[in-house]
Amino acid sequence: MKKVVVENLKYRYPLSENLALKGISFEVEKGEFIGIIGRNLAGKSTLCQALVGLVPHFYKGAYSGSVKISGMNVLENNISGLSKKIGIVFQNPFTQITAAKLTVYEEIAFGLENMGIEKKEMIRRIEYVLYLLDLEKYKDRNPFELSGGQMQRLAIASIIAMKPEIIVLDEPTSQLDPQGSEEVFKAIQSLSREGITIMMVEQKIEKIAQYTDRVMLMSDGEVVDFDVPQKIFLKDNLLNYGVQAPVFTRVCRSLNIKNKNTGLYPVTLDEAYELMVRHEQNRS
Amino acid sequence: MNKRRLWSFSFTTATLVLIPAAIGINYIGKLFAGVLKLPLWLDSIGTALASMLSGPVVGAISGAINNIIYGLTMDPISFVYALTSIAIGITVGIMAYNGRINTLWKSIIAGVVVAIVAAIVSTPLNVIFWGGQTGNVWGDALYAYLIAHAVPVWIASFLDEIVVDFPDKIATMIIAFLIFKGLPRKLILLYQSGETIEKLD
Amino acid sequence: MAKTLSLYVERNTFIHRVDSINKILYVLVSVAIPLILPYKFVAIFLILISISFLLLAKVMRRVIPLIEFSVIILLSIVIIQGLFHAGNKTVAFHIARITFYKEGLSYAFTLSTRVINILLAFAILVLTTKPSELIEALVKKGLSPRFGYVLSSALQIIPQMMSAVGSIMDAQRSRGLETEGNLAVRIRAFFPLIGPVVMGSLIETRERAMALEVRAFNSREKKTFLNERQNLRSDNVIRLILFSILSLSIVLRVLL
Repeated sequence: MKKVVVENLKYRYPLSENLALKGISFEVEKGEFIGIIGRNLAGKSTLCQALVGLVPHFYKGAYSGSVKISGMNVLENNISGLSKKIGIVFQNPFTQITAAKLTVYEEIAFGLENMGIEKKEMIRRIEYVLYLLDLEKYKDRNPFELSGGQMQRLAIASIIAMKPEIIVLDEPTSQLDPQGSEEVFKAIQSLSREGITIMMVEQKIEKIAQYTDRVMLMSDGEVVDFDVPQKIFLKDNLLNYGVQAPVFTRVCRSLNIKNKNTGLYPVTLDEAYELMVRHEQNRS
Repeated sequence: MNKRRLWSFSFTTATLVLIPAAIGINYIGKLFAGVLKLPLWLDSIGTALASMLSGPVVGAISGAINNIIYGLTMDPISFVYALTSIAIGITVGIMAYNGRINTLWKSIIAGVVVAIVAAIVSTPLNVIFWGGQTGNVWGDALYAYLIAHAVPVWIASFLDEIVVDFPDKIATMIIAFLIFKGLPRKLILLYQSGETIEKLD
Repeated sequence: MAKTLSLYVERNTFIHRVDSINKILYVLVSVAIPLILPYKFVAIFLILISISFLLLAKVMRRVIPLIEFSVIILLSIVIIQGLFHAGNKTVAFHIARITFYKEGLSYAFTLSTRVINILLAFAILVLTTKPSELIEALVKKGLSPRFGYVLSSALQIIPQMMSAVGSIMDAQRSRGLETEGNLAVRIRAFFPLIGPVVMGSLIETRERAMALEVRAFNSREKKTFLNERQNLRSDNVIRLILFSILSLSIVLRVLL
């Protein structure tokens, strides 16, 4: 089954005159890692929130079209029901802490208690995500005492413990220092290896290029393009959308160094390095 | 603003999370009053804001839980004065709903009303627990003077309380009004447990 | 400010292990009995019992800061009532040329024992119970979990907000805000301080509400609990004792 099916989604926030989403349609397969890029106010966050039901159930407003998550129609279900299938991690690590629990361990249990998960299963899941997100040594710490990167990993752990099939990450590292960001990307990689379908909004374009299977370029409430990174970063007019191709792609482009098989420019550092070395060897 | 019901007991997640924040604002108001050495309590600003944002029920609950937390973490007698906080929440909520707090002058009048209501609710509590005193130096000095001159206890106690409440509640309502005016409409909308249903495009 | 609002004192005594609900019942019974049987010795007797529980719980010393403010007010009440109480007729004693009367002192004494009785009963609850356990006990007995959340989160959110305020004050001061001087200056300083605090709190509140929603906060499933407290046999015994004492006092009141 396709994990995410969006058909002609349109949405307008209350008190707004313009549509935030102007007719979006796309599909995502199981296990895909999708990157979402575009300038600020392109509708990326709104789209993320529409996938989990915050749009429209939390914000109200005007809505049409359909979003189906693992077959569940977002409009016809509530956010709690959808949370069994899809989870979301936001930018601010601090406001994702419930503040109702005194330890990391109990904090992860919060969502599980709400879902009515039986105690033995709760413990199994908590121990698993503590291991997966490398938080075992912090399990008795107060969540507010963690660093930004640790807090964000806790947010991810708390969502993953609920075993959603899909996880949405809305600029998860924008408020973190470089070390925190690296910790979080490492964590997201382990999620990807577990087979979870991932949709991530990110400004760090090199990371998008490195991790994702397909990239969605958004602008002004619409999806401009949705394709593999190599094709997206081939476009000439990326700057118009407030986005730049990764550094090494631009370098290879200016040196006209392509991948001979695909005819496309490399998008990862490793591939670019390889091609440039071969290019040098061919010249000499 | 009149779309939602006045006595709505349906709490959205946003209005529930508003409550601890309102209590935090109460604490902070008190802190600033102390730091700036202002001769006021200023410990109900959060309750007033919660009432203005989400109505009398949420305001009353914010006030009640405020006192419950004071009671559990500082002074147990505060529990009983939850009644006063509830009265303040209800009063501000009703007035805000009826548009009686939408100019500076109206907020001053609202402050007077709140002060009187608070004093009326607190006075019986003061009489039962403290023989009519309030623990405020100036108010109690007035009280002592009055009963020494054979003024009935209830009146003396009420005056003791109102002398403290007038300046404090008027200032509180002015501050709450000014803050509320400065909030963006989209933020305010979120806290109205408004039955604003999603319309289809 | 501590990172969570709590007066809990960590100890390993019998009193600490008593079920939180029973401690609440104890407070209610302690407050009710002097009302049912309004004799002076009843309140004093209850005070002595509470003191012995506090001693058993090894938290007696922590009671002082809890009650000192009230005790000061009580002293002022003793003085004011002793001097000026409406029904003052019988002289108790003189200090210099100031006369204290029996009626006023007796009245003040009754008030004081009532207040101290309530304070000490609460002290047992507050000093020997972890707030998180108390709230969870209430939720297990039927309190709405959403309200349990409001109470639990308040205990950490409030200190968080208080410590964030320090940075706002510094930031505004460095931008030239005057916080000292005459009253007008200080009043004017209030708004640039409270404005950002309120805005920030409301935005955080919205974000936290969204995070709660996606953690199934509004799920209608029957809630489960990670922490399960063993029901001790002493819990039921204590509850029985409390109810018996309460019934006994009602009976006595009717008879006497």
